[in-house]
Amino acid sequence: MRKHIRVIILLNLIFISCKEKKASINITTNHIHNTVDQLTKIMIHDVFSPPVASRIYVYPNIAAYEVLSYNNKSYKTLSKQLNEFKTLPKIKLNNTLNKKLAALIAYMEVSEELVFSKQKLITYKDSLYSNWININKDEFNEAKMFGKEVANHVKLWMNDDKYIETRNMPIHNVLTKDPFSWVPTPPAFMPGIEPHWNKIRPLIMKSADQFKPEKPPTPSFEKSSDFYKELIGVYNIGNKIIKEGNTSEKLNIAKFWDCNPYVSVNKGHFMFAEKKITPGAHWIGICKIACKESNSSFEKTIYAYTKTAIAINDAFISCWDEKYRSNLVRPETLINNYIDDNWLPLLQTPPFPEYTSGHSVVSGAASEILTKIFGDNFKFDDTTELPYGLGVRTFSSFRDAANEAALSRFYGGIHYMSAVKLGLEQGKKIGHYINNSVTFKNK
Amino acid sequence: MLNKCIFYKILFLIFLIFSCNKQIKENISPKKHLFKVLSPENTGVKFTNQLKEDANHSIINYIYFYNGNGLCAGDINNDGLTDLYFVSNQGENKLYLNKGNFKFEDITKKANIESLSDWNTGATMVDINNDGFMDIYLCSVSGILDFEGRNELFINNGNGTFTEKAKDYGLDFKGYSTQSYFFDYDKDDDLDVYIVNHAVHTNLSYGPASHRKKRVGLVGDVLLKNTNGKFIDVSETSNIFGGPNGYGLSASIGDFNNDGWDDIYVCNDFHEDDYYYLNNQDGTFTEKMSEAFSTISRFSMGSDSADINGDGFLDIITLDMLPEKESIIKQTEGDDAMYNMQKQLKKLGYKDQISRNMLQINNNGSYFIETASYNHIEDTDWSWGPLFADFDNDGFQDLFISNGILRRPNNLDFRKYVSSTFKQYGSDNSLKWLYKSLDKMPSGASSNRIFKGNSQSFEDKTGKWIEDKPSFSNGAIYLDLDLDGDLDIVTNNLNEKATILKNTTDNSNNYLSIKFNYKPSNKEGLGTKAIVYSNGLKQFKQLYKTRGFLSAGEGKLHFGLEKNVIDSLHIIWPNNKVQKINDVSINTNLTVDYKIDTTPYSYINKKEKNFFKRENILDFVHSEDNYDDFFHERLIPNRVSIQGPAVAIADIDNNGFEDFFIGNASGKKAKLFLNNGFSFKEKKITHIEQDLLYEDNVATFFDADGDSDLDLYVGSGIELLRRKNFENDRLYINNNNSFEKSNNTIPNNFNNTSSVVAYDYDQDGDQDLFIGNLSNPNSYGDKPSAYILINDGKGNFSKDKEFNLNIKATAATWSDINNDGIKDLLIASEWDSPKIYINNKGNLKPLDIPNHLNGLWQSITTFDIDDDGDLDILLGNWGENTRFNEVSSDAPLKLYYSDFDSNGTKETVLAYKKDNNYYPVNSKDELASQMNIISKRFINYKDFSSKPIEDVLTYESLKKGKIYKVETLSSGYIQNNNGNFNTFIEFNYQLQLAPINSFAEITINNKKGLVVSGNSNKTGTYHGAYLALKGMFLETDNQINQLSNYGIDAFNGQVKQTGVIKMKNKNLFFVLTNNEAIKTYTFR
Repeated sequence: MRKHIRVIILLNLIFISCKEKKASINITTNHIHNTVDQLTKIMIHDVFSPPVASRIYVYPNIAAYEVLSYNNKSYKTLSKQLNEFKTLPKIKLNNTLNKKLAALIAYMEVSEELVFSKQKLITYKDSLYSNWININKDEFNEAKMFGKEVANHVKLWMNDDKYIETRNMPIHNVLTKDPFSWVPTPPAFMPGIEPHWNKIRPLIMKSADQFKPEKPPTPSFEKSSDFYKELIGVYNIGNKIIKEGNTSEKLNIAKFWDCNPYVSVNKGHFMFAEKKITPGAHWIGICKIACKESNSSFEKTIYAYTKTAIAINDAFISCWDEKYRSNLVRPETLINNYIDDNWLPLLQTPPFPEYTSGHSVVSGAASEILTKIFGDNFKFDDTTELPYGLGVRTFSSFRDAANEAALSRFYGGIHYMSAVKLGLEQGKKIGHYINNSVTFKNK
Repeated sequence: MLNKCIFYKILFLIFLIFSCNKQIKENISPKKHLFKVLSPENTGVKFTNQLKEDANHSIINYIYFYNGNGLCAGDINNDGLTDLYFVSNQGENKLYLNKGNFKFEDITKKANIESLSDWNTGATMVDINNDGFMDIYLCSVSGILDFEGRNELFINNGNGTFTEKAKDYGLDFKGYSTQSYFFDYDKDDDLDVYIVNHAVHTNLSYGPASHRKKRVGLVGDVLLKNTNGKFIDVSETSNIFGGPNGYGLSASIGDFNNDGWDDIYVCNDFHEDDYYYLNNQDGTFTEKMSEAFSTISRFSMGSDSADINGDGFLDIITLDMLPEKESIIKQTEGDDAMYNMQKQLKKLGYKDQISRNMLQINNNGSYFIETASYNHIEDTDWSWGPLFADFDNDGFQDLFISNGILRRPNNLDFRKYVSSTFKQYGSDNSLKWLYKSLDKMPSGASSNRIFKGNSQSFEDKTGKWIEDKPSFSNGAIYLDLDLDGDLDIVTNNLNEKATILKNTTDNSNNYLSIKFNYKPSNKEGLGTKAIVYSNGLKQFKQLYKTRGFLSAGEGKLHFGLEKNVIDSLHIIWPNNKVQKINDVSINTNLTVDYKIDTTPYSYINKKEKNFFKRENILDFVHSEDNYDDFFHERLIPNRVSIQGPAVAIADIDNNGFEDFFIGNASGKKAKLFLNNGFSFKEKKITHIEQDLLYEDNVATFFDADGDSDLDLYVGSGIELLRRKNFENDRLYINNNNSFEKSNNTIPNNFNNTSSVVAYDYDQDGDQDLFIGNLSNPNSYGDKPSAYILINDGKGNFSKDKEFNLNIKATAATWSDINNDGIKDLLIASEWDSPKIYINNKGNLKPLDIPNHLNGLWQSITTFDIDDDGDLDILLGNWGENTRFNEVSSDAPLKLYYSDFDSNGTKETVLAYKKDNNYYPVNSKDELASQMNIISKRFINYKDFSSKPIEDVLTYESLKKGKIYKVETLSSGYIQNNNGNFNTFIEFNYQLQLAPINSFAEITINNKKGLVVSGNSNKTGTYHGAYLALKGMFLETDNQINQLSNYGIDAFNGQVKQTGVIKMKNKNLFFVLTNNEAIKTYTFR
């Protein structure tokens, strides 16, 4: 039956293109999914840190969303809703404007500005463009003009977010004698990444510390202290999982949610980074799955991506603000120095302070957004990690996935329980705040 | 028209023919090299170390898969000709009989020397059972991958056949063996063995340095003691390290401290320090790396030792893998990537190490001075085996280095490729995937190198003495294969036939080759020393066969002789008895028999009677804060925040003895010590103690307010948290020996102060000040102003408006150089020439000095160094022992200063000249860490490599910036020639080995001279530290001695200043070093 329909559509297409000179450029949700995937691929190649990656996801999406919401009855512009984001200049639009096409173009134009391997994106873009020009040059040019206009508006605003200034700020100084202060971790001993991320302009939050979590348990070597219990908890769960061996469910959970773009692999004479997607990218992936599963329209897809990316963006700012405030040592450091010098966490400790857990905050925030859009009890198979050699996991809801993602950091031996629990809470608060204070859909 | 055209065509054709001819000529007449490559067809040596790689056996799962192999030599049939044994990692080892005239016979099959081990490494020939026939000891790696086997001992049956008997002797060691070193450590006249084994990466091998004290099977080095023909492991009781981090790739055995007992230097790869074991003469060793060496190779591979400067002490070379070619440097992971790692490793207890070759010159057996960069031998690429020998028979030791790796695992693009394409396929599949990706690793073929020595420096003869042709050569030995008196070279090559290089040195020079016939239990006399005296020169050698990398040569000592006479020959036998031979004929292959009636040799300690006595009289520790300049400005050439300690000396309390103010780094208290002629008492000054947050860079006592007591000016540096209030200079006024900070009497100075010197320069009866600044703490490239503060007579200071100078000042002094009774102003500075001002009662007029003196001047003083009765201007520069050793006025270093990426922050980028282009010093990653745009401009390292600075930063951005230059790095003096200052004379090489920070006058043994001190810890990992200036006593420009000869400990840190303070009955000599405790000595 389905085949038949397809054949008919195909025939129709041929028929129409024979009859009329110019066909319309057909943009589907796959176009947007493929373009997001392409951006993810380039980001993996360029090795962007998780906070920087969150910034790269968000601005292209906002540009695409702004194209769609322009003079739109159902969707509301984000200008004046996002910090310092001004209203677009008045642009006269023809009825013939292909908004989906313009949205996609705006997305790519902004992305191009953000990655290192620009050429890869340009190659991808150019092949699409030349294809579209062939189909309908006028339609393409009209969409391109509008898409670029919006892209430029977003870029101007984006470039004022203090990202450039933070590039030259001092490296996080770790030369301290306090045993509970964060120090770089093996094997690469990288300096703490993005110590000034709290100076980046948030999109919705009023300031980086708006959702400042409560303090973690006071660090102590006192065996009865909460902190020490949590420390031993990390040590014990790691040992327990190792005992359980390769089939351990907890091990699978830890690996599945690793999302560390910095893992150093030592093979023979050389050490190299084993690149992976970031926690943000994983949730962008879940958003894609949800859009596809729910057969969301092009507009809804862009809306979902944009809102999720905004939440992830602010979640990282909030989390990083806390990380360099509490500057808490990783469990690996304390365990190696004071308990067992041969202990290794199951996951490689990522290069920044411990509290709160980035994955937990981001998962908390993103899951609340997705729940609001797609509903609770949205069951899905998470295939995001398939291209990176990991399997599929099934979740009964976004919140279910977020809980597991947060817990995975504890299993992985890179976070104490407080960073996971309080981090998830911190993220949920950010999610709720965004759900309540930004209007995407006109009522 | 047509004709003309034809005419031109013909002309062109003629030109073509001529130019072709010329090319053909050059091609057909091969350059004649001192060493002639002999073809395998002619010699019969067709051995190849052929590697077989597969997914389960490659550099991916065994780090040393591309290390190649070596060979060893010895006369196995006692026919007088030395035979060769080549080792293959996986294939068949081969034994060749030397038939004379460079003809060899392969006797592998009938000799029965087939190894049963899967992965062979180093080999040495030694007569283990003292039957007069050379046996072969072969090392192997077993226990890694599926490698099985153990070390093997092939006993020579005396009839051209061998029988494997390692087990019978206790030599059947099983582990990750690299090479064996036979020597007699306990002086019982039989040969013991040190076996170097290597580690592989494990969780523990990255642990603390103290792990080396553990003993780990398979991995840890072992010392086996020969007990009546049985070898017993005594590693533990002899204090030999055996930890999981011992990546041992070679060792050098020799009596490094000339106490008659042999010591061991072990080269360790990766982060583990090398080991320097001194023999305690009681069967144990003490590891003294930290005490004796300042700078060591990071990835230490092969090594050798020899006395290269004829002072009777063995010097050491260790090889690393620093590339020389610009394109390779920028595509290779270098020390820049180690900056952060190095800090961690330091915390774990490891020494700072630098990835380059090290030439360690032995100073009287007590410490080593590293001079590889001075000798231009620091960067010979992926280097394995160094060999010191006199290849041209001129009486001086030359240097051969074998080079090349099959593929470069540290190629940055390869790593990036693997990183972005590697996926978690499960361990088996990922291994296969990685194996397939090996093709993407670029070749590391690299020419072997040869350098001619003259006992002071080395000159590159690659391309002249040997072909300049890339190869994969690993182990190498030198030996006289044809007994013609010069040394031939044999190398074992990876996947290529072994090379025999025939030495064609003619007979214009002479030689002496010595073989020993010692006691039956060590017939070859391993460990025997020989000293040849000829024409007033001394050559000293010690017989050890195992040298370089995985290889061992023949049991002979070879001496080249420029003159045709030997005055005398001294043989010091392993039992430290000496045999003196006076009538030695030259150009012979001599055998010296041990005579029982020899006398004991007395090792003379060159150290003079201790003139200085170490006495701790002052309790002060300078302790740096944690501020790291590179965290703030990542591309600056060196740190500027570690300038302290500040010091001011004067008699504060008018008791006739000078008192001492020492300033500390930010966060630590400065101290004032009052001198009563016998001791120092600390006097607490509230205002000074309150100012502990200031970083004290410089200080001076002077009478600011004309009340005849001494006040204190302290120049401040960079404060830990960069609070501007704590970076201002301070003036403390003396009120009855209590100092109070004065407000608003001196202008603010928020720059990084480097010098403050007081003098009544306008001759109006009060003390004025010169203030020099090294940098603007917010922007390194900015040249801050230096100024003169005029005293109004009441202690209020204002800037002299007539004197304007923007300069990166480092030091200054007032000194009367034109003999008019008024002191003139002399200023040293970085990225500029020294500035000399003639003072005419406050009118300062610049003096013309020689051209091309833009340098990194660190110190300036006046002294009559040429002994002609007038004061010369002495200038301490950075020195020539640096990777920038090619700097000249034609090829100056350049520092570009501009906002290259237009982000509102100015950067500095350092560039050097190479092959007529300027290249950035920094790597792509370093540049990108400060300038995001670099990541977008260059995606691959290959694109970035070989790009001159104009392409990297763009011509436009360079044009809008400033350029500073350094034309010389040599320290020296501007000679005072009857009042003319037009000649700059460079100091002797001993004063060029590190930055000179201070000259201090002193009288030693009634000789007036200067203590010259310096060194620098300010640079990043591109340089490593500069620590080769151990403290010198300079009397005249050619009378220079190590201060350690007079009883002063070698200076191993960044010395700020030394000096002398008179006490009642003695003098005090002090050494103030950055981040160390003060050291004091007394003398009379």
